This record gives sequence, C-alpha cells and structure tokens, in this order.
Amino acid sequence: MNTQTTHNSCRLWVGTSGYSYTEWTDAGFYPPGTKSGAMLPLYARHFPITELNFTWYQMPKVHVLDRMHRQAPAGFRFAAKLTRTLTHEIDPDQWRGQATQYRDGIAPLLQARKLVAVLLQFPPSFVRAPQSRQYLAALLDELDGLPLAVEFRHASWATDRVFAELERRRATLVTVDEPELPGLFPGLDVVTNPELFYIRFHGRNAKGWRSGNMQKQFDYDYGDDELRQWADGRIAKMAPHASTGVIFFNNHVRAQAPRNAVKLINLLIARGLMLDILPEGSKKTALNL
Amino acid sequence: MNPYERSIIHLNVADFAVAVERAVDSRLKDRPVIIAPEGAARAAVYDMSEEAYRNGICKGMALGRAVRLCRDARILPPHPDRYEHAMRSLLKQTLPYSPLIETGEADGHLFMDVSGSSRLFGPPADVAWRLRRQVKKDLGLDPIWSVAPNKLVAKVATRLVKPDGEYIVGAGEEESLLAPLPIRLVPGIERDDLLRLQEFNLTRVSQFTALSLEQLQIPFGARALFLYQTARGIDPSPVLPMGQKPPKVIADHEFGNDTNDRSFLESILYRLVEQVGDRLRRHRRAARRVAVILDYSDGMRCARQLAARPATANDLTLFQLARRTLLLAWTRRVRIRHVRLICDRLIFPPAQLKLFADEQRQTQKRDNLVVAIDSIRQRFGTQAVRIGRTLAA
Repeated sequence: MNTQTTHNSCRLWVGTSGYSYTEWTDAGFYPPGTKSGAMLPLYARHFPITELNFTWYQMPKVHVLDRMHRQAPAGFRFAAKLTRTLTHEIDPDQWRGQATQYRDGIAPLLQARKLVAVLLQFPPSFVRAPQSRQYLAALLDELDGLPLAVEFRHASWATDRVFAELERRRATLVTVDEPELPGLFPGLDVVTNPELFYIRFHGRNAKGWRSGNMQKQFDYDYGDDELRQWADGRIAKMAPHASTGVIFFNNHVRAQAPRNAVKLINLLIARGLMLDILPEGSKKTALNL
Repeated sequence: MNPYERSIIHLNVADFAVAVERAVDSRLKDRPVIIAPEGAARAAVYDMSEEAYRNGICKGMALGRAVRLCRDARILPPHPDRYEHAMRSLLKQTLPYSPLIETGEADGHLFMDVSGSSRLFGPPADVAWRLRRQVKKDLGLDPIWSVAPNKLVAKVATRLVKPDGEYIVGAGEEESLLAPLPIRLVPGIERDDLLRLQEFNLTRVSQFTALSLEQLQIPFGARALFLYQTARGIDPSPVLPMGQKPPKVIADHEFGNDTNDRSFLESILYRLVEQVGDRLRRHRRAARRVAVILDYSDGMRCARQLAARPATANDLTLFQLARRTLLLAWTRRVRIRHVRLICDRLIFPPAQLKLFADEQRQTQKRDNLVVAIDSIRQRFGTQAVRIGRTLAA
C-alpha cells in the first residue's frame, strides 16, 4: 500500500532546499562529527525528498548524481535546480550547449525515476520583457520532456498570460513564500500543471532579503500560525488540482528549515492531507529538534 | 589527522600572466598570446593563452619554435610587477572570508580554508561563487574555483575543469575523484616517482591504489606512505595562515652581465652563504635544508635542494652543501642571470657532538674560525676580513 496517498489522491512531499549544511550539525539535526558525504542517508530518515541546490553552482555530473541517488532509500525523490549559466549568467552563444550538458548530467535521476522536478529559478533581474520571454520559451523548448518548475522573483511575471502558457506546456509555476517587498513575485495559489505543484518557503526576513548574504536572507523561523495558514489555505486549495505536490523549506540558517518542515508535515497530517511522510523502506527514527 | 571536516576553496586563474595582460589590454582577448622575455638569445615561453596552447605551445618551449607553431600570436614580455599587483588585489578580495589564506608566488593560485564559517558567510560553494563573481567584476579576472575537503583534492579539481568552470567535491568523494585519473595529474607525485611507476607499468591512480602499503614499501621505502595517502586523496596539510609561512633565510644575486663562469659563480655563491650564515647565527638557528634557484637568461628556472645532516649554520659547511646544490641545478650551458640561495627547515643548533674525535676536531676548527671571523666583523665591519674566494668577485 502506498502510505502517501491522501483522500483526494494528491501526494504531498515535504523536504528542505539542500541538506548538506555543516551548520545543521551544530544545530543538532545531524549527529556531531557527521561528514557531508554521510548526510543524505541521515536526512532521508526524516524526509522523503530534497531539492538539490549544488546543481545551481555547478553543472550536474553523472557519476556524482549516480552515487548520490544510490545513497538514498528506494522511495526517495529529488528536485534539482537548473544551473546558473541557464538562469542567472546566460551566455547567448553557449546556453544551448549548457542545456544539453544539464540533461546529460541529470540523466541518472531521471532513469532511476527519482526526479520530481527541475527547478528553473530566475533572479529578480529577470524581468518580463520581449527578450526574456523569448529566452524562457526557447529554454522550455530545449528542456522539453523534463518535469519543469519555474520560479520567478520579479512581479512582472504574475499575469494570466504567463500562467496560461505554462499550463499549455504543462510546466509548474512555483509558489513562493517570501517577504512582502515591492517588486517580488507575489504568493499565489495558481496550479498550472495537473501533475505537479511546487511550493518554496524562503522565510520572511525582509531586512536580510537584499543583504547579499545568504545567512541573513534565509534566516527565518516560521511560526505555527503562519504554517497553519498555509496548510489550511493555499495547500488545501492547491492539492485537489494536482496529482503531486512538493514543498521545500529554504530557510536553512540554524537548521530552521528541517524544523519548520516537520511542523508543516504534522499540520498536514492533522488536516488529513498527508498520511505518512516517509518513503517505503526507510527506517523511521524520532526527530529530535 | 584533523578529525573535523574541512572546506578548502581553491581559486585558480588559468594562464595567470595572460589573464592579467588581458585585463590590462582587452584587445588581447580571444587571440593567441605568448609571454616570453624579449631580446634574450634563446628565450623560452613563460606563459601562454589557451588559444596558443591549442596550437601546441607549452611553457618552457623555445620562443622561435613557438612562433613558428603559432604565427599570429601576440608576444609580450613578462611583467612580474603586474602579476604581483594582480595577486595582491586577488588576495584582498578574499581576506574578508578567512584568516587562513595561502597564495602561490604570483601565479594566480590561492587556497582558503573556510571551515566552520558557513554560519557567517553561507555554504562554501556560495562563498566561492560570490568571490569569483566579485573578482570578475572588480579585477577582470575569471578564476576557476573548487571546494574540497583538502588542498590536494581542491587543486586536482581545478585542474580537471581548466580552462573554466568549477568543481565541488564532498567529503568522502576524494578517492573516487582521483581513481580514474592519470597519476601525473596528482600534485605531489614527482618526476622520480612517475618514472618508477612507469617501470611497473602503472599509469592510472586506480591501478596504483590497488596496491597495499606493504607492497608499495618495497620499491618506494619511506616515501610509500606519502604516495599511498596522496593517491587516495588524503592530505592533512593545513592552509598556511597569512604571514606564517615556514621561516626561511634567503639571499639573492642578480648578475649585471649574465654569466656562466664557474669560479665567478662560486665566489658569488660564497658571498650569499656568508649573508645567510650570518643571519642564521644571529638568530641562533641552523638550517636542515639548502636550496639553490637559478634563473637562466632565457627565462628558464631550475631549483634544486639538498638536506643538511646534521643541521648547520657554519659558512664552510653550508658552502660545501650549497656548491653541490648549485651543480645539481646548473645543467645547461645558457648563461645565468640570477641566483638565489635559500636555507630553511630551521632548528636550534644541534647539541649532539660528533662520535669520532677526528670529525669533532674538524667541526670544532671550522666553528672556531667562523666565530673568529664574526667577532672581527662585528667590531671592524664586514669588509675587515674576507675569504680569498670572494676577492675575485
């Protein structure tokens, strides 16, 4: 029996953005002395899915991802960020080659049927304009066939035409929780892909958001009320419209992300949206946070 | 060994000299560039751009040959001052992130230990990426970067992605990163080791790591442990903090006219020995190693070193050793432009006496002589008493 099927048949997966943080050892999430190479199996005891962010820094390499997914239990899933040379530092002459490289690099996850989504996260400077629209269309064409999720950071993309086009392409619009600052993409509950919705919790640290320092930008601890609003509100609303939903916490500072993720999981279980968080075959241990 | 996991960032500006010249003169972009001294009779290539490298040019190649291989290359003289300036600027960019930064000699290489600072600055990969972006913006240089658990693996990783890119190596991945590589790509494995390995028909790291330490000890003796660890990506060596390089005493001489006159060179070497010996004795240290670096007039450099057993600060003993080292380094007929003498691995002078009376008398005599010269010079100046050998110079 699949333990994750909910009443409305939408499977929810909750995890964190990245798992390899040495500061999570200091914060008590990993046992003292845990080496980064040994973190994934430990992480997989608590969560059934993770979002790989190192693929943003460097082009994914076949042997690295191959070894990585073998480390995780059979039912574990991955979402992977698209490399920065395709979203942040685009070279008009090179990007198509980069897209091909990315497809090759990510292949082990796809073959193992463990890739839930490729996350195309665009910077705030990626504003809706003819040139960027053309690029986005060409990029989506180039990556066609992969499960794609698009995250915008600029409010100009929040229009029905964009949503309709994503819907036509069966690409997911990423829903974000972030500080309410002018110009940022708003938090919406639009589902553009019947197969997948994708939520990212960045924290609401308005002061640190534009500091240029990740440790300030993503330093936030969600309160119970804030998470309950999501569980009862947007998540409950989005779930009936898609067969799978993935939710990631990006507020990694001081291991707040895994703490908040566990809280949300408990809320979702209490609300009947989720039955059990753990993939089949993985060993359940108490999460001491 | 350190039980904690380390995060070492290696920044490597590929073809550093060319990159610096290109930052100064953007017309040099995308075309083959060769850096070599002008006017030298048999100049050798000091550095070259990727485009020139693809045309078959490599470091140390005779300039004439290089020009024949790549006719449209721009040839520039080396500007060591520019490279040093660029290196200082690069260092300045990295200083805010760590007190543990180790740089090479103006060669565009830089290691920084960012272990334990992720709560302050974010994950190491993010620090490296931001640094690269900043360096690109401010200095016009585009370093390759890697993050790895030690210096050895970090260095290999940047070599793998050269001329551009990045590489993140997690703890536990060191051995598998090295395994498929040719052994010559692993830093620390020297020419002699490679020759010996070739005799056993070992060319890949994976073939080498199949051997046990005991097996390696038969051909390699005491060096086996180092090789055994290096091939497995084990490298406990720390990133040396700024200004805490191991102490060494250095003396230089630049010839007005390049020379290959042996007696002249030896008299200069003796002067250098006197300078070094004087400083050693003043600091009450003795050196366990002597190195000589020769720069030939065509830009080639050769460095050789010998161990001093026992450690010494005596001019006469040092000179014997320095002369032997000089002859090891002096293998070409090309004239010499610059000679540098380095004494390092400094310790307090050994108190152990010689076992045999003859040897002991000899050492005692030499020490007495040097003490006498020192005391005369202290009172009447350096020129008051000189060794005959140095009069010719």
